[in-house]
Amino acid sequence: MTLILVQVSVTNSQPQAKAKRHGKGGGVAAGNEAASHLPPLFLPLPLQWHQTLPNPGLSLSLSHHISLLKNASLGGLNLTRNYKRKVYQPKGALHVAASSTKKILIMGGTRFIGVFLSRLLVKEGHQVTLFTRGKAPVTQQLPGESDSDYSDFKSKILHLKGDRQDFEFVKSSLSAEGFDVVYDINGREAVEVEPILDALPNLQQFIYCSSAGVYLKSDILPHCEVDAVDPKSRHKGKLNTESLLEKRGVNWTSLRPVYIYGPLNYNPVEEWFFHRLKAGRPIPIPNSGVQTTQLGHVKDLATAFVRVLGNEKASKQVFNISGEKYVTFDGLAKACAKAGGFPEPEIVHYNPKELDFGKKKAFPFRDQHFFASVEKAKHVLGLKPEFDLVEGLTDSYNLDFGRGTFRKEADFSTDDMILNKSFALQS
Amino acid sequence: MAALASSSSSSSLLFTTPPSKLPSPSSLCPFPRLSLPISSFLSSPLSISPSSLPYPTTSTRCFASFTVRAAAAADKKKVLIVNTNSGGHAVIGFYFAKELLGSGHEVTVMTVGDEGSDKMKKPPFNRLSEITSAGGKTLWGDPANVGNVVAGTSFDVVLDNNGKDLDTVRPVVDWAKSSGVKQLLFISSAGIYKPTDEPPHVEGDVVKADAGHVGVEKYIAEVFISWAIFRPQYMIGSGNNKDCEEWFFDRIVRNRPVPIPGSGMQLTNIAHVRDLSSMLTLAVEKPEAASSNIFNCVSDHAVTLDGMARLCAEAAGLPVEIVHYDPKAVGIDAKKAFPFRNMHFYAEPRAAKDILGWEGTTNLPEDLKERFEEYVKVGRDKKPMKFEIDDKILEALKVPVAV
Repeated sequence: MTLILVQVSVTNSQPQAKAKRHGKGGGVAAGNEAASHLPPLFLPLPLQWHQTLPNPGLSLSLSHHISLLKNASLGGLNLTRNYKRKVYQPKGALHVAASSTKKILIMGGTRFIGVFLSRLLVKEGHQVTLFTRGKAPVTQQLPGESDSDYSDFKSKILHLKGDRQDFEFVKSSLSAEGFDVVYDINGREAVEVEPILDALPNLQQFIYCSSAGVYLKSDILPHCEVDAVDPKSRHKGKLNTESLLEKRGVNWTSLRPVYIYGPLNYNPVEEWFFHRLKAGRPIPIPNSGVQTTQLGHVKDLATAFVRVLGNEKASKQVFNISGEKYVTFDGLAKACAKAGGFPEPEIVHYNPKELDFGKKKAFPFRDQHFFASVEKAKHVLGLKPEFDLVEGLTDSYNLDFGRGTFRKEADFSTDDMILNKSFALQS
Repeated sequence: MAALASSSSSSSLLFTTPPSKLPSPSSLCPFPRLSLPISSFLSSPLSISPSSLPYPTTSTRCFASFTVRAAAAADKKKVLIVNTNSGGHAVIGFYFAKELLGSGHEVTVMTVGDEGSDKMKKPPFNRLSEITSAGGKTLWGDPANVGNVVAGTSFDVVLDNNGKDLDTVRPVVDWAKSSGVKQLLFISSAGIYKPTDEPPHVEGDVVKADAGHVGVEKYIAEVFISWAIFRPQYMIGSGNNKDCEEWFFDRIVRNRPVPIPGSGMQLTNIAHVRDLSSMLTLAVEKPEAASSNIFNCVSDHAVTLDGMARLCAEAAGLPVEIVHYDPKAVGIDAKKAFPFRNMHFYAEPRAAKDILGWEGTTNLPEDLKERFEEYVKVGRDKKPMKFEIDDKILEALKVPVAV
């Protein structure tokens, strides 16, 4: 098998972020200032790669043409002509560096992680399709995103409309299209992944967004990838999916984030604190406030998802992805205040057992220590998060809450229960 | 030696050497060996230069094998450990000495104070014979007088595992520099990190400027070229001079509640001392990599205070009752009542992993089992004990707080 080694330089555009540059060895195509601290990826392109293409409607790269020409004995010249006619060429400037363009499917991609991930992948020159029900607009201009960047992205991104719970449709539509790589960003149960694997027998890589929530609670921390998982956890569907991937023998990679934050977060993590800080309200935190957790910026997570694409070191591996430092609940309240330019908050501790909140959640985090080591991703993938906590929260504040946007209206009813009770105790 | 070197015969000269870490001669040179008295040739093995020998084909290989052996001999270091005579860090020097000796290095342990002092009756000092029987030397003296104590011996590496301030350590550092010591290692403390809302403490984080250890660290970095600083937390291990897990065992075996200040959720780092020793040994064996670096000398996991109590109980195969209290409300000094800091005190050994390729082996569930076995073996479970502070705490908790 002739191998064509292709150098892919990965660029990571983060227009707003005050990024930390970490020089990593190897020549990286540094075009713009925001370009990467990421090392080049060397991807072997097997010659028979073109034979795996299920249909001609694919984006082809320069090296692909070379491989076809070399294969003249297989009638490669004819093949080339056929392919040339039906080739999908990405509009706009061809990204010369990324010559191993892939046809990528993202399950989801219109809400949070996928919004950032899809942009990175499109910028790399890949052909990216989002599989969603279409409830949310397929694209939306990000705060801080230039008009030209947005229109470029909008012109290139593809949409496959469907309900992933309709397994027959998933199987048939994916099989008809054919994809090289699938990013499953919104899958929860193993049964949802089976039709995808069935539809794509020649899938190069299945990249899964799992969760650090699968780890068994422990007195010894941080959670590491080799630690015991909890088959009874709320996230057991993620565990079952990881097991399925392993069993099916597909080339899989699983990323386990902790708490994700950043602009467009639909889980009220930072938003919960910002609402209270803006309203000048005390922050009620259960028990001691020394419970320690960990936040990871969505842009760093998107970078991690790109880093594992076509990466041999990521093959059949699990990686925890989150911030480099952990944070106490009390500390997080203070960090959010710093990020939004608010004064140091008044924190009120309470015993949640003494109150009945009904179905409402009085606090957005699990009332326990919950953090994971990201050393494996650091050592194996060379991944170093760009954002530290206050920087990341500032990014989120400036691009989202600080502009007046948020996902959930403020609801201080549980706060009032807590505050009234402690007031009653004091008086 | 010159006479031998200028021999024009093509016979191979092969010097037998002590069977240490050197490649076996027969694998490198198949010619019959010339057995010669070792002492006359190995007194300064590096003085023989290859160019003074003729180069018939096969004996070149044999000569090459000699220089290989000489290089291996040069990897052996002469290490001086200036060791404290008490406290939690005492056991570090003990393990480090044994590990170095096991790796073929030469070790001298200088314990601070007098050989005859009462302090020497406690572990690890009552076990220093384990060092001498492994070929190490033990001395006693005042670090301010270290040059005289070691009586003119030269060392490649010095570890100061004693001083907490510049006044105590400076004489050792100054003497080391002036006597040609190549590498200086210092046991500092992770206690110098400024408390943070964002654990863990990693190397480079802000430290308390007024801490004694900080002054020492700064001075060493100014004065020495090849230096490494180690910041430990708590440790367990046979020969420990200070109670760690024993504090929990004492209460668990006597069916007494374990009073823990605060929420019990505070994170700490308790390492088996062998992890600290292996990190120090790596620094000695990789001096260029280690140079000018600070290393958190801790295990790669944290444990909560409650968790430590639970793990000790599991190791003992007994139940445990944990009781939380507020030291201020009870009116006691938490430092006297409890062996660990009443706050998150959690550093991670990231520099050691990144730079030295160090790996942690501490496994508290397993290690505590072994610790409990020794606890019982020495009969500490049967020892009569008083728990005055515990009693005061438990008494206070029964009384309802006046509104």
